Amino acid sequence: MSPFNIVVFVKQVPDNTKLKPEQLTGNSLPKEGVDMIVNPFDEYALETALRLKEAAGAEAQVTVISLGAASAKEIVKKTIAAGADAAYLLSDPVFLSGDSTSVAYALSGALKQLVPDAKIAVFGTLSLDASDGQTGPKVAELLDWASLTTCKNAEIVDLETLNVWRETERGIEQYTMALPGVICMMKCDYELRTANIKGVMKANKTEIPLKTPAELALEPALVGAAVATSQSENVWPRPAKTAGIKVDGSADAKAAVDKLIAYLRENKVL
Amino acid sequence: MSQAKQGIWVIVEAPAQFAGSHSAGGNAQERYQELLTPGRQLAAQLGQPLTVVVLGGSGSDAASDAVASSFYQYGADHVVAVRHDCLNEFQPQAYARALSECIDSKNPAVVLFAATAFAKDYAPRVSIRSKAGLITNVNEIAYENGALIGTKACMAESLLAKISVAAGQTQMAVIRGRMYEKPTPDTARSGAVETWSVNLNAEMSRTKLVQIQQPENTGRKKLEEAEVIVSGGRGLKEAANFNLVEALANALGASVGASRAVVDAGWRPHSEQVGQTGKTVSPKLYVALGISGAIQHLVGMRTSKTIIAINRDADAPIFTVADFGIVGDVFEIAPLLTQALKEQNLVLTA
Repeated sequence: MSPFNIVVFVKQVPDNTKLKPEQLTGNSLPKEGVDMIVNPFDEYALETALRLKEAAGAEAQVTVISLGAASAKEIVKKTIAAGADAAYLLSDPVFLSGDSTSVAYALSGALKQLVPDAKIAVFGTLSLDASDGQTGPKVAELLDWASLTTCKNAEIVDLETLNVWRETERGIEQYTMALPGVICMMKCDYELRTANIKGVMKANKTEIPLKTPAELALEPALVGAAVATSQSENVWPRPAKTAGIKVDGSADAKAAVDKLIAYLRENKVL
Repeated sequence: MSQAKQGIWVIVEAPAQFAGSHSAGGNAQERYQELLTPGRQLAAQLGQPLTVVVLGGSGSDAASDAVASSFYQYGADHVVAVRHDCLNEFQPQAYARALSECIDSKNPAVVLFAATAFAKDYAPRVSIRSKAGLITNVNEIAYENGALIGTKACMAESLLAKISVAAGQTQMAVIRGRMYEKPTPDTARSGAVETWSVNLNAEMSRTKLVQIQQPENTGRKKLEEAEVIVSGGRGLKEAANFNLVEALANALGASVGASRAVVDAGWRPHSEQVGQTGKTVSPKLYVALGISGAIQHLVGMRTSKTIIAINRDADAPIFTVADFGIVGDVFEIAPLLTQALKEQNLVLTA
């Protein structure tokens, strides 16, 4: 019996807590050359995949696939340290052009080539940088798999079925999903695991194979900008909000509250 | 050469009500009505009709017809219902196939969605199926030289980006709630609801809704819908002290939010978390009690119209975005503020 294969897609994104306005030039978001982190929701995707693997038993495998600049290797290694069994990085300048449709063609092609019998693909529901939330469902459509976004939890019913919980305007929705399927995770209630020494040593020894479009047998017409259906025109920092009035209420709290009320009245908030 | 694309569509998802939940009811209905405002603008600019397309179950009852036809009052030129048993409950694959089939046969120029969980699930699938460019999480749309342009926030609200979908394909956008005012209804306008049929079968859809656990009714609006939010952070020292937040929220008719730190500590549910891995909010008034203001929190609330912060630490980053900040003891100041609001009978200006 072939192993129960789970694929997790992780993305390297700029660390927005360290990004400076002068690092934003041109018409799109920086893909390297600034401090990079793993996309926050992808950490929950990885954690969910590792939990599904544990629930599925010893025959299960978690494979990480990332698309990005060569520097994304470091982030991919961290997923091995946390417990992923194998990882690949799709790295070629052509992969960095285009939009979420381009990425979806590359990732679905990579999945078919690298983990052809995968049953579950796990994504973060949104990337910090582009904030599109389109890649997961697009990959599902290209694979003709089931999909759900904004998921909070997933549980294996049997090797053909998942229970999935998601948070929407309607409340917490519970679905059953016939596999193969894509689940896109938001923040989950469970804690993220941290890598142990053994994991870190394994990650240090693991080579992350870089994959090009040719190695994945992707048709040139379906790679990068050639298959994109939208274009980024320009990107600019949101005008900074400036600090307003600050009063000291440590000595006379009542006076400070009175000033606040006066301010809210003057500005017709209340 | 395919026939020229023609028509502006606004999409409404109307799966059957499930366990008393509101699918197209309540505030969700308003999210769809808002879409008629940019829809009408594009219809006027392009000189093309505006069609509201309602996707839903096979049942055609008086209540759902009334909801559908009400869109005439908000400015629709046509209202169409796409009905099928497979659309009775929301299923991404079935909804994607149904809409895609309509797009491929009718060739609309522009398709607009409201940013519901439904659209997040199936609009990207439609984009692939119908080879139609899609812009998501859009704040504002425009049409320039044949391209649909969406302005959207990215990098956790710190940047804005203009994304375009060129002519020659159906151009689609998912628009966030409360970005446009809904049109004033014109009660004189009315019309019949046309029906389009689609070919679907149950095997096409491999997700099945089991149940919906409704959020506990706290009597407060959802964070995304709230006009006033009072949020608490670690400065409150322990979970029980959130009663200060609740009391101030009651006085202001506000919803309650929380920082990541207190959600992670288990004091409050994740549904109340404001910030990068929680909710992005933009109320008229945001009051932060004992929140220091890590960037991950600020990105979720800094577009609020007026921000009030109360914190002991004068150097807390929350003060860099606050319109009015009080440096001091939240345990002393918050109750005084609550009391003053009650005594002076102050409420949010409409």
